[in-house]
Amino acid sequence: MTETLNKFQKYLAKNKLGGAVITDILTVNYLTSFHFVSEGDAFLIVTSKKATCYTKEMYLIDIKNKCPFLNFVNSLDINVLVKNLGKQAKNFVFDPYASNYINGTTLKNAGVKEVAKLTSIIREVKTREEIKLIKKACEISSKSFEIFKKQLKAGMTELEAAKLLEGIMAKLGGNGLAFDTIMAFGKNTANPHHANSNMKLKKEMPVLVDFGCRYKGYCSDITRTFWFGKKPTQEFQHYFETVFEAYTVAANALKAGKSAKELDTLARNYFEDNFEASKYFIHSLGHNLGLEIHERPILSQRSEDTLKENALTTIEPGLYFKNKFGIRYEDTFLITKTGSINLTAVKIKK
Amino acid sequence: MAGIDKIKLKNVYSALTKNKLDGLILSDVNDMKYLLGDFFCEGEATILIHKKGILAVSRPLYENDAKKAYPQLKFIALEEKQHFEIIKQAKALKLKAVAFDEAKEYYAQAKEYKKAGFKTVSNFINSVRATKTEQEIKIMKEAAQIAYGALLYIKKEIKAGVTEKQIALKIEMFMRERGATAMSFVPLVSFGANGANPHHFPDDTKLTKNTAVLLDFGCVYKGYCSDISRCFWFGDKVTPEYQKILDLAILAHDTVVKKAKYGMTGAEIDSISRGVIEKAGYGKYFIHRTGHGIGMQDHELADISQLNKNKIGLNYCFSIEPGIYLPGKFGVRYEDCFYMTAKGIKQIK
Repeated sequence: MTETLNKFQKYLAKNKLGGAVITDILTVNYLTSFHFVSEGDAFLIVTSKKATCYTKEMYLIDIKNKCPFLNFVNSLDINVLVKNLGKQAKNFVFDPYASNYINGTTLKNAGVKEVAKLTSIIREVKTREEIKLIKKACEISSKSFEIFKKQLKAGMTELEAAKLLEGIMAKLGGNGLAFDTIMAFGKNTANPHHANSNMKLKKEMPVLVDFGCRYKGYCSDITRTFWFGKKPTQEFQHYFETVFEAYTVAANALKAGKSAKELDTLARNYFEDNFEASKYFIHSLGHNLGLEIHERPILSQRSEDTLKENALTTIEPGLYFKNKFGIRYEDTFLITKTGSINLTAVKIKK
Repeated sequence: MAGIDKIKLKNVYSALTKNKLDGLILSDVNDMKYLLGDFFCEGEATILIHKKGILAVSRPLYENDAKKAYPQLKFIALEEKQHFEIIKQAKALKLKAVAFDEAKEYYAQAKEYKKAGFKTVSNFINSVRATKTEQEIKIMKEAAQIAYGALLYIKKEIKAGVTEKQIALKIEMFMRERGATAMSFVPLVSFGANGANPHHFPDDTKLTKNTAVLLDFGCVYKGYCSDISRCFWFGDKVTPEYQKILDLAILAHDTVVKKAKYGMTGAEIDSISRGVIEKAGYGKYFIHRTGHGIGMQDHELADISQLNKNKIGLNYCFSIEPGIYLPGKFGVRYEDCFYMTAKGIKQIK
């Protein structure tokens, strides 16, 4: 039995829910610790006592071995699943934000109820095993960046530099990327969603790197902005410190029970109080992560969530000055009862 | 870099006409990538393709770039509840037959589309994507070249004492150094009995003399995937059983290459390789389909399986990978990718 499934079954029992129908493959993988490859490869029915996996023959030999705690049905027909649920269906729930229209309609017609945050309920708080894997992903990324910085040379293009960093992460044990690496030089740093180009690195320009790797499916997420050369402009230095201070203020405030919106406000207010810079902070402060790079809660003005112990969050304030430069500073934190632990801590050079 | 691909867009419009639609809603990241290239992140935009153009509702963060990269795109900046704006825009444009993709849109948003009277389609862009453009096939050939190069290279690196993980990493580094931006999937390296499980992930198993080796890997290059598998015996004392089974998988593969014709269904092509393996008495050990579609994703439409009763169209790209798995002993699989032409299937290489 996996710890994740056990945890979810306890939740179902505690909340007196008959059971849940899981149709998105990430959550199926999450609950079973099995590695289904594509969306639609499996469905899962979970009750407080039992879990049944609907999948196709090719997977059956392997998963029967690896997950002896599951029951199996050799079918991927949602109608078969609904028929098997029978009258119990009305005590079951599904996530309308994680089921496509075909599956959602079939489930709904059978009486299965919508629970909008079901996926977050299952995946927001991490188990010990998950935290271990995320820590490893964070460690690989942090170490890779240290090596990368030493190997980065003038004349490299953004695309080449991204490839260099990604190669180092693979060598250190990363299994692919958490998301496409953002590697921005010079003015390109002013765009938070920059697509890597053939722009070449020259001495005395800013570099912004937003990156992360995966380890056994789990993501890490870091951003560093630094000056390539010896003479950062005063303006760059000034705003770098401003961003870093906002980051520090928010990071120091992290703690289980804090509201996601308040944390975002904290960073925003810091920018506003110092140099009226909040209008250059054009995105939200951070987000939870896990099997996906963006998970709930999001630290933003629109959030109504509070932070939970053993969930994660990034803290990533940034300021962007069009046609000049942008700065973002980001680490991944584990939220604890009394504060937080920085999982991507690398030596900070101010 | 970003920019709307005109040929792909034309193909989408003809599919719309064929389905009597004048509007199509897309929010799946790959559907958008197909038309717009690498631009919107997952879950951050919804687009509406209609007779007079394309509009995108997305986060304000994208606004400046979107206007620069796609001057012909109407951009509406909105942090959330994008689907309501799409409904409003479709009404304002007086569109009569708008569809959303029931296999892609989440139920929560899709039920609002349904309420607004929109129609459903299923895997619409995936169907358009199945027919590759000449440009796409050209890139896929380049992606395949990198993988075939890795195969030649890695054969020299396979020595007694190496682990599956070490070989997988070397394959990955080789392909990355030649321009691959990602792996099509985690490179599969299986020694001995590990190969009997078609989904075995590389672990710390060490290679010893006289063991079966199975390799299955591919890379993503310029957004398109390659995928190959090869098996061989490591050592000079190959068992007659292994040789027989490997020859049988290769024969099944080669028979498909010879006999698959334009006009056949996925099931008919699957039957060619299955027939060869069944005739030899190993049918029950061939536990997966003959192949799968391939393109931007490693698995796409154009299943070469008994379940696919549709014809494999011209320029469809797919793998042919018959395999035989003897539990507790070893597994073999022989795989290349092909595209359909009027004269039969042609290897992507």
